[in-house]
Amino acid sequence: MTKLEAKNIEKYFDHDGQKLQALGGIDLKVNDGDFVCLVGPSGCGKSTFLRIVAGLDRPDNGEVLLDGKPVIETGPDRILVFQEGALFPWLKVIDNVEFGLKIAGIPKSERSEISKRYLDMMQLTRFAESYTYQLSTGMKQRVAIARALVLDPDVLLMDEPFAALDAQTRDLLLVEMQLIWERTKKTILFVTHNVAEATMLGNRVAVFTNRPSTIKKEIVIDYRRPRISEDENLSKYQQQILAELRPEVKASE
Amino acid sequence: MKKQNYTWKRIVFYIALVAVWQAFDSVNIWPDQIFPSPLEVGEDLVYSAADGSLFFGIGTSMLRLIVGLAIAIGGGMVLGIFMARVETINQTIGSLVLGLQSIPSVAWVPLAIIWFGLTDAGIIFVTAMGALFAVTINTYSGVKNIDPNFIAAARNMGAKGEQLITSVLIPAAFPYMISGFKQGWAFAWRGVIGAELLFSFLGLGFLLNVGRQLSDVSQVIAIMIVVMAIGILIDGFVFRRIENKVMSRWGLR
Repeated sequence: MTKLEAKNIEKYFDHDGQKLQALGGIDLKVNDGDFVCLVGPSGCGKSTFLRIVAGLDRPDNGEVLLDGKPVIETGPDRILVFQEGALFPWLKVIDNVEFGLKIAGIPKSERSEISKRYLDMMQLTRFAESYTYQLSTGMKQRVAIARALVLDPDVLLMDEPFAALDAQTRDLLLVEMQLIWERTKKTILFVTHNVAEATMLGNRVAVFTNRPSTIKKEIVIDYRRPRISEDENLSKYQQQILAELRPEVKASE
Repeated sequence: MKKQNYTWKRIVFYIALVAVWQAFDSVNIWPDQIFPSPLEVGEDLVYSAADGSLFFGIGTSMLRLIVGLAIAIGGGMVLGIFMARVETINQTIGSLVLGLQSIPSVAWVPLAIIWFGLTDAGIIFVTAMGALFAVTINTYSGVKNIDPNFIAAARNMGAKGEQLITSVLIPAAFPYMISGFKQGWAFAWRGVIGAELLFSFLGLGFLLNVGRQLSDVSQVIAIMIVVMAIGILIDGFVFRRIENKVMSRWGLR
């Protein structure tokens, strides 16, 4: 069943008075419970596309459908996890996680019940009372993921959430992310520039072209889980993706 | 270690300052009615403390300051947030705010006397006007400098309107706002003393004026020292502490 559909999404930017086309008509269908990774050369507009799906930016053309209904504004059914987490430094970890629930007017007792579950899932329970400046980058991203999951979104949008992490922490989170996906059955759209990361996470990897970008190819990764980064069987998928990606990266430079 | 170091330097400096002062007095270049000794000033402080007039003066000035500053903080925050969020308000009222900020607070005294008479309200008005624009401008820059991802994340989680202002804009801009409050307090303190001097209606400024009328130079200097000491105390014990706490929690230090 199609959960999310992007139809011919176009987006222009003003660049020194010139109109620059970032997205040249993105078409993408995502099934319910699918895990789709988006890769592409840097600056190709992957993040912009994600923001449009989140309803934080408007496309200049085309539309995004969620369950067949057009997306007009942002809302908690599509939660975006930012690259730097965008956690609120004035709140404790637990209050960051409960932020969206509080906005929705959910009573305190119910909030703590929900947040407890996700703090536990993300192994954050003993950091619940910490402030974000006391956390490592990896911990911050765990909080950001927990903050998104408590809202039980239909679609989880992730914008290079692990890009700033060291290799060990990232490997750990890449495995955990697969477990979270299996447990929560969320539909996930995951932007990355890291091909290995994409093959570990995605059921499908969509390769973006250089600007004005379209989706060049979708590669299905039908392989057992949880996948680990050392698994050499993933490399044939990586080669396949890189073969599509390389000319685009070259063209973008 | 370091802190202790400069505390000692300071103590030595002030002892030396008083010693030089005393030395000048002993040479007797100027008569005592013009240049009192530190002892005479100290005596004056003790007398006015003993008969309660000093504390009554401090209390009166502080009360006016607190009310005036509260009005300035409330008004400045509202004005600053609207200037930062609504472009038309910034383009119109914003330019006026910059102009009004250049008016020294005592320049509001004639208007205050005409509008409010020689009353507390008049002095509070001068105090508030002195602090209002510093708070406004700092709130404005604070809101302007908020990480756009904070706002995007909050909107994404469903915050809008009033909720967005109270749960994100104000706390996110708080580090700037606290410097606005600190500046506002300094302007308000100058404003209240200046206004009391001209209104000649109770408070520390009034005591300064009485000193002048009685040609009691040691009272004049004693009150000036009190004004300065309160300035240092409030700045160091109230604002610097809040500022340090805010800065470290917001991860800015």
